Amino acid sequence: MVVALKERGDGLPGAAEQSGPIEQLRYACSMGAMQTAAAIPRVIPITHCGPGCSDKQHNALTAANGYQGGGWGGGGVAPSSNATQREVIFGGTDRLEELIEATLKILDADLFVVVTGCIPDLVGDDVGSVVRGFQSRGAPVVYAETGGFRGNNFTGHEIVARAIIDQFVGAYDGEREPGLVNLWSLLPYQNTFWRGDLGEIKRLLEGIGLRVNLLFGPDSGGIAEWKAIPRAQFNLVLSPWLGLETAAHLQEKYGQPFLHIPLIPVGAKAAGEVLREIAAFAGVSERAEAFIAAEERTYYTYIEAFSEFYSQYRWGLPARFAIAADAAYALALSKFAVRQLGLLPARLIVTDNPPGEYRDAIAAEFRALDHDTEGTVEFLEDSYLIHQQIRSAAFGHKPPLILGSTWERDLAKELKGVLMEIAFPASYEVVLTRSNVGYRGAITLLERIYSTTVSRTA
Amino acid sequence: MSAKKTKQIAIYGKGGIGKSTTTSNISAALADAGYKVMQFGCDPKADSTNTLRGGEYIPSVLDLLSEKRRVDAHEAIFLGFGGIYCVEAGGPAPGVGCAGRGIITAVELLKQQRIFEELDLDYVIYDVLGDVVCGGFAVPIREGIAEHVFTVSSADFMAIYAANNLFKGIEKYSNSGGALLGGIIANSMNTDFHREIIDDFAARTKTQIVQYVPRSLTVTQAELQGKTTIEAAPDSAQADVYRALAKRIAEHTDSKVPTALNPKELREWSAGWADQLIEIERASERARVAA
Repeated sequence: MVVALKERGDGLPGAAEQSGPIEQLRYACSMGAMQTAAAIPRVIPITHCGPGCSDKQHNALTAANGYQGGGWGGGGVAPSSNATQREVIFGGTDRLEELIEATLKILDADLFVVVTGCIPDLVGDDVGSVVRGFQSRGAPVVYAETGGFRGNNFTGHEIVARAIIDQFVGAYDGEREPGLVNLWSLLPYQNTFWRGDLGEIKRLLEGIGLRVNLLFGPDSGGIAEWKAIPRAQFNLVLSPWLGLETAAHLQEKYGQPFLHIPLIPVGAKAAGEVLREIAAFAGVSERAEAFIAAEERTYYTYIEAFSEFYSQYRWGLPARFAIAADAAYALALSKFAVRQLGLLPARLIVTDNPPGEYRDAIAAEFRALDHDTEGTVEFLEDSYLIHQQIRSAAFGHKPPLILGSTWERDLAKELKGVLMEIAFPASYEVVLTRSNVGYRGAITLLERIYSTTVSRTA
Repeated sequence: MSAKKTKQIAIYGKGGIGKSTTTSNISAALADAGYKVMQFGCDPKADSTNTLRGGEYIPSVLDLLSEKRRVDAHEAIFLGFGGIYCVEAGGPAPGVGCAGRGIITAVELLKQQRIFEELDLDYVIYDVLGDVVCGGFAVPIREGIAEHVFTVSSADFMAIYAANNLFKGIEKYSNSGGALLGGIIANSMNTDFHREIIDDFAARTKTQIVQYVPRSLTVTQAELQGKTTIEAAPDSAQADVYRALAKRIAEHTDSKVPTALNPKELREWSAGWADQLIEIERASERARVAA
């Protein structure tokens, strides 16, 4: 009798375990995490991969998605081993060694992150031993095995974060600084608005009296913040699932606690709740109240003005919406649409393929959109299926509001709807500092949704 | 260039079972019989053709490829005993890179440069390493390369497992124009029960034994001189065995799809034989004591 340690489940595997071809994809491969490295000021990824891998990843993420630009050291700047047949057959470690050596001579960065593609991971290149050689000479280089078959760029992101923590930040047994927080939230570059959004989240956290290791983006202090990770009072995971693995690792490594809030706050209602929860955890509640009150004064002054338009405009405002986005934005924008605009959900689709173990919790968040509104989330990655679902949704007699990506352009026309490109790939948006979150971002989002709506027939 | 069809044969078997020895002797016997032969070693160790060239190693296709991006295949072809064209695919150092991809690349390189046609070969014999562990080592049995596969196996169970894995590979590719099985070359056949075991396996998998090759000191002596038995001891009984084998392979036309045993069948089959072997052992011990 053969007995496994765990019995096999019956029936078909769940959606999270299934795989197959998909069309019009909504993420990059693991190696897209080269842009996670590039999102840290003065950090340059070194890509050890076949010809075209690096170009495809960064073009998808940084060009076809808001024309964000590859960054100071990402995109077309990132050196690549351009591995071909020779590196497949004989292994590519010599080539990588040569590449790192040359990179250190030519490029100026605070940290280099070697990310690997499918070729070295398949043939088993011992990238670690090459990089450790440079590390022992004191060179600021780490490596992350991000071969595309390991998963999407969300997976790659946590691999890169962990690589920097383990190989660069290192051990720490000193004191922790009260009021210093590490933020793990939106996926840089994948989320078209990450720069502005992280900036706004930082403003909110500082507003309630915290100091923030933002870690990514123009408002981050770069590797000095990464070095300061172990000193932080706690880690804040502000997303439904991304970042949880990193936070758990930090808890184990440094004994650092973490606070998980699945909802990125959009609008005053959510912002007030989330900030109060964070403030209570951090022990800064008093200051938080003053900040929230000041923010709400400004916010609701604008909303008051907006409400005249919103209640009086008679030429067809959407009543129901569909959303297809990564879990973080799908949840954040859905809650805003329901709780602050009074819209009803017609379709709620999460597209970033969250690991199976997080799906029940994510679904529970969607079920509780508001005290009187329940949502049913679907996890889909294939645009054909996503479009089928949106097409078959009930939008009533008003124009559908579709919060999605460029892939929904034709569908929006077909449904005579209003499309807001808020998810990857957003190819009809040029995005620099614009934000959709917090107090200010929510107002911008309102402006965009209703400018698009009123100009729909212009 | 003539329009004749080159007969392409692949010889597989577990590592150390005597594949290269057998292959080289087949090549030598075919060359002796007047055929134009190429022996193509598909093993990163690159030592398949040693006994055709006085024990000497030759630079492999992949050695050349590691030095430069474009390789003229002629630079990797060396003449051996009886005018046999010797080629070694070669491969990476143990533990790095992808040897399977190396085999694919080396075979493709010669095909792309139309070497077989240019040399007007009668036979190309691929000597392929061990087990069919990944796609690269299945290349010679996939479409458009070898037509006939032979496996060298002893009566040792591990060798038979390797042969059975090969049969699975052949079954897999048989519907898409892949090579079919010519049969088993039964090596190191010194006792009756060796023969019985291998015969039984052949029967169970619906294949045939092409030739029984006994273990022989002549082979070892020849190899120590860096030669095949055909070259070093052409008048020996062992050379006759190899010539007979080469003749059968030359005359062989119809290969078949074998019926590989599934893991359970294979386990039960070998367990059955293990019981019989213990019984044989006991019987001979009883006979010894009685005497």
